[in-house]
Amino acid sequence: MKKTLSALALVTASALALGACSSGQASSPSATGSASASAAAQDITLWLAGGDTPDALRDYLKKTYKANTGGTLTIEEQAWGDLVTKLTTSLPDENNTPDVVEVGNTQSPTFTNVGAFSDISDLYGELGGDKLLQSFVEVGKVDGKNYTLPYYFGSRYMFYRKDIWKAAGVEVPTTLDAFNSAVKEITTKNPKKVKDFSGFFLGGQDWRNGISWIFANGGDLAKYDNGQWTSTLSDPNTIKGLTQLQGIYTDASKAPRTAKDQSPWLYINDSDVIKDDADDPDKVTGKTSLAAATIMAPGWAHWSIGDLKKVDGKETREWNSDTFGTFVLPGNDGTPAPVFAGGSNIGISAKSKNQEGSRELLKIIFSADYQKMLGENGLGPANSDYVSSLGDDEFAKALIESASNSKLTPAAPGWASVEASGKLEEFFSKVAEGGDVTALATEYDAIFTPLLNGK
Amino acid sequence: MSVTAPDRPRQAAPASTRQPGRRKFSFGPYLLLVPAIVVLLVALGYPLVWQFVTSMQRYGLAQQFGKPPEFVGLANYVELFSDPQTWAVVGRSIAFCLVNALLTVLLGVLIALLMNAVGKVTRLILQVAMLLAWAMPVIASMTIWIWVFDWRRGIVNWALTQLGLDFTNHNWLENPLSFYFVATLVVVWMSVPFVAFSVFAGLTQISDEVMEAAALDGATASQRFFSIILPLIRPVLMIVTLLQVIWDLRVFAQIKMLQDAGAPTASTDLLGTYIYRLGVGSSDFAMASALSIFVLLLTIALSFFYVMHLMKEDQ
Amino acid sequence: MTAATVPIRRRIRPARVVNTVIALLVALAWVFPVYWMLNSSLLPNTVLTSTTPRFLPLGGSLDNFAAIFREGSFWPALGMSVAITLTTVVVCLLFAFLAALAISRFRFRGRTAFVLAVLFIQMLPAEGLFIAQYKLMGSLNLLNSVIGVSILYIAAVVPFTIWMLRGFVAGVPVDLEEAAMVDGLSRTQAFFRITFPLLAPGLVASGVYAFLQAWNEFTVALVILQAQESQTLPLWLRTFVQASATRETDWGQVMAASTLVAVPVIVFFLFVQGRLTSGLVAGSVKG
Repeated sequence: MKKTLSALALVTASALALGACSSGQASSPSATGSASASAAAQDITLWLAGGDTPDALRDYLKKTYKANTGGTLTIEEQAWGDLVTKLTTSLPDENNTPDVVEVGNTQSPTFTNVGAFSDISDLYGELGGDKLLQSFVEVGKVDGKNYTLPYYFGSRYMFYRKDIWKAAGVEVPTTLDAFNSAVKEITTKNPKKVKDFSGFFLGGQDWRNGISWIFANGGDLAKYDNGQWTSTLSDPNTIKGLTQLQGIYTDASKAPRTAKDQSPWLYINDSDVIKDDADDPDKVTGKTSLAAATIMAPGWAHWSIGDLKKVDGKETREWNSDTFGTFVLPGNDGTPAPVFAGGSNIGISAKSKNQEGSRELLKIIFSADYQKMLGENGLGPANSDYVSSLGDDEFAKALIESASNSKLTPAAPGWASVEASGKLEEFFSKVAEGGDVTALATEYDAIFTPLLNGK
Repeated sequence: MSVTAPDRPRQAAPASTRQPGRRKFSFGPYLLLVPAIVVLLVALGYPLVWQFVTSMQRYGLAQQFGKPPEFVGLANYVELFSDPQTWAVVGRSIAFCLVNALLTVLLGVLIALLMNAVGKVTRLILQVAMLLAWAMPVIASMTIWIWVFDWRRGIVNWALTQLGLDFTNHNWLENPLSFYFVATLVVVWMSVPFVAFSVFAGLTQISDEVMEAAALDGATASQRFFSIILPLIRPVLMIVTLLQVIWDLRVFAQIKMLQDAGAPTASTDLLGTYIYRLGVGSSDFAMASALSIFVLLLTIALSFFYVMHLMKEDQ
Repeated sequence: MTAATVPIRRRIRPARVVNTVIALLVALAWVFPVYWMLNSSLLPNTVLTSTTPRFLPLGGSLDNFAAIFREGSFWPALGMSVAITLTTVVVCLLFAFLAALAISRFRFRGRTAFVLAVLFIQMLPAEGLFIAQYKLMGSLNLLNSVIGVSILYIAAVVPFTIWMLRGFVAGVPVDLEEAAMVDGLSRTQAFFRITFPLLAPGLVASGVYAFLQAWNEFTVALVILQAQESQTLPLWLRTFVQASATRETDWGQVMAASTLVAVPVIVFFLFVQGRLTSGLVAGSVKG
């Protein structure tokens, strides 16, 4: 909390300085001449997805926008689950469209391909250019023009129980093969004798974590050739990854076949400290809820992992580095395995009447100060110059390392349809149930290819 | 439920005395209908027409963003009905709808009979419990039910395990059959209070003398139910059954939220969630429209007998 | 109601006892989820995520509620929900009453067609309508407004309300009204003095139906009320349920928020309960 406050103080001070110079900047490159004047008067709306952007950052954006342009910035938070519905209805409506919107990185291609966003190629250099996270820039591009740019990134790495790994006599792995066998070994040994114990907890429908095995074996979900997207589940490398994954599902993970990637951290915490006996407050009455030795989760999960502590009367989790540890999923070539990069992109609605004001807002978002603030709050900044702002603790290191080789889902126009169809979850859960991988891959390739091309 | 009221002669009489001959202006009734018709036309007329037109176009996200849609005639319908998935969803929906409507009405009637058969205090307790359940917002009650059936921390698994059955970590939503079991439980729980109250209201109108007389004549409880009670509450039953069929056929929020809680979507889709998946999910608004039109026709077909019967009683 | 208060006196007591036990068990089954919500709303998240359920909110607190109120978005959402629900209930009852008057007191050309159309129109599935509804409200400039959403809600509940009220209107003897007019009252006076009081239970019963529909609806609201300041309680509740990408769902707070959404309905129900039962009863007099 202190950190945030001091960051805020620093930021408000620099906001004034920034405001002074950027208003001079805005008028020079503009083609319309009266750009800064019209931007000054523009009241704009920014849609943020979910509660990921902390309040301090929102306040900073509002204040800075006011200082730079004189206009008012309204920030509206949209739930992730409703975002596509709202974008579908609002973005085409020039009277009601938000001006700047955050979209999930995997949702970006679908909307950029139908022309929902303004071309901001001319701003690309000024906003960070090649310093911006390229895999995210890619999903915002159509025909070489930039429509959306990265907003922040997250990445997934491993959280594990040091005590259990030790009790099972296995070392932290340095190759993917070593990881695969280590977690199976832990499951077999089950040192704490917990029912349905998972060496590695991986939900049957959890494709977002599961695709790491595909990527790590050089496979992919789809490829682009001669203007056509093709689903590549039956590509030999993909099959290899899927087969390894199936091994984990059958021998290492006891997670339900329908579990997705929601709150896996619940399974590596102990909760044997529950004391609810009214007469004897020290009597432990709760059973252990431990169910897994390893999970894969986005970095911020560390806030939910640890020992149960009472802080100011509220029960919270406190990280304990004696029991818990992190490592990055290793690949077999010595580099980290490519994992799924979470995060989002940001763009200007093509129908917005406030293009100038929106461009000013993007300049603020991609400014050094804001990029650093993202990092300080644990969100991977889009511009690689400021990645160091994430800090240098265990979690920041793991985030940066795992992100270094992270990968995105295909930038196909129909990718959002593939996700929304629920067929990916279905495919992964069938693999998890022990189905014939090759047959399943062929079957689902036939389903995904038409979806990918958006018909 | 007044809705069921077949017009009695007394009611028909004033109506017939109000023939145009007696009243100076005959547009009176039309004037009275104007507000309702206007609001229905504004709110549902345009969307209905839009849906009908869109169902015969190619209409996806690109069209939503301004690309002119192409007219394709009945191609969407052909594609829809040649997809086995559609028929699987239709079959499941009809089965789900019939089972749920039947269970709801059956339990509703039983609970109404129970309300009638117990003392004042017990009845009040039962009624308050029903009212509380009825008053729960769908989102709130779904959240609780999902919590109750949670595979790891749900109280259902805990209780079954305490009873000696090993239900630790049992996932209720994994298998479509047990998914529908949970969904049915939830939907029935939500809908029974409405039926119970409506039927109870009907039951209170049966005069005690009739029942006493029947009991004295040696009629058994079931004879009394089938020969006296049932005919008298039949109109109420008709309308609540019709409403349950309509509501259960397009059940959406409950299924959607259960799916979001972690269930295989494709094998648990019902018509409501399938339309949603086609429209919001795949941005195929033409197919979603075609399916909506089909659901409208299907509901009309399923309820046709009822509606005709209601109309006949209404004449 | 008199009929209800004098239920058939059974001479066989054991049957009565069995019935009472069953009734209490049924009541328990129906009320349990409601209790579970209340219980959970008083417990911290760390207790809720453990494997052993806690049946009593021992060591519980109002922290979850305090956190919600501190966050501050509850009151505006409550205001929006109340405004929309009241508009829907009042306007819907008025429109439905007029239509019910027309179809129960008059025989006219197109009557059957109207009744059929009203019955069938409520069978249209709502999940496919959202784009059209958005465009419609956008062109009328009614997005994010109480009126816009209310129009859609009224249209959704008015068909059933017409059906319900039709029976009540038909049940009021016209002779009574005419007698009053002979006594020197105007038609309007006769209506308000004689007919209206007899209709009150029916209006309450249909009002409850309209109230529940408007209060709980969220798919239409999601599309039409996109601005944050115009969200209704169900939308507000969703924000608690839907975990963001970087925050864990706080179940204790979700349950507390659910409780807050349910409380106004429960209060409203307990308030109208007497009238509701008599409304349903009066309705079925003619049934």
